[in-house]
Amino acid sequence: MAKPTTIRIPEKLLNEINEFVQELKLDRSAYLREVLQKGFSADKQDRILLKYVRKELTQMEVCKELNWAPWEFLDQLKSRNLHLNVELEDWLDAADLPSR
Amino acid sequence: MARIIADSSSLILLAKCSLLEMVCNLFVVIVPKAVSIEVASKDLVRAYPDASLISELTSKGAIKVQSPGSERPSLPLSLHKGEEEALLLAINLDGSILATDDGKAIKAARFFNVPFIITPKIVVELFRLQKISFKKARESIEKLGKIGRYSPEIIADALISLMEKEDG
Repeated sequence: MAKPTTIRIPEKLLNEINEFVQELKLDRSAYLREVLQKGFSADKQDRILLKYVRKELTQMEVCKELNWAPWEFLDQLKSRNLHLNVELEDWLDAADLPSR
Repeated sequence: MARIIADSSSLILLAKCSLLEMVCNLFVVIVPKAVSIEVASKDLVRAYPDASLISELTSKGAIKVQSPGSERPSLPLSLHKGEEEALLLAINLDGSILATDDGKAIKAARFFNVPFIITPKIVVELFRLQKISFKKARESIEKLGKIGRYSPEIIADALISLMEKEDG
């Protein structure tokens, strides 16, 4: 069930939103809900991935937080031009495989 | 035979490079139950072909599923269940190597002095051990850069290392 909340936003932005919803004949409340949902989702992903880059989260912790399948993770990094959080030092320190 | 304890990140990259089956044939590959569920649950098997491969290898016993046991030292940082159990297995099974492509999991492995390996190194090592051709190794490393999202500096270093090994 939707619950009410109140926020203050700059007048210029509010005017812009009002003009836009009028022009496109949108329901103002429904539009604001949608924008908030989209913005929250995008911002959450950015912030969680930043924590991954800083090694504060593992791949699987990210997947759990963002409800991604682990097989999706690499594509998500690619779409944001991000890399794995493994460093050159890790490559240099990696163990050798024994021959037997 | 050497023992490799793999977490989800490593299983996924090895599968994407088409090297998982070979690694399972050459080494004892062990995963905790949580990792097996993370990458190859029934739903994932239906949606991702590589998940299906992992499920098949697990069913055949090529990937062994093992519990880390009750001896669980407290970790210096939080990990997801699969990563944590893979690390605990590597701690408890002497002489094993933790295969992971996650920076935070590597950080935890370093804390316990657990030997770890990342997928580009596995590729270079398979070439050094003459298990794959230079061409296959180079293709796999390039794939780890494009699909696997390894940083260009690691990919460049891995390719140099590969060429050095080819020159003997």
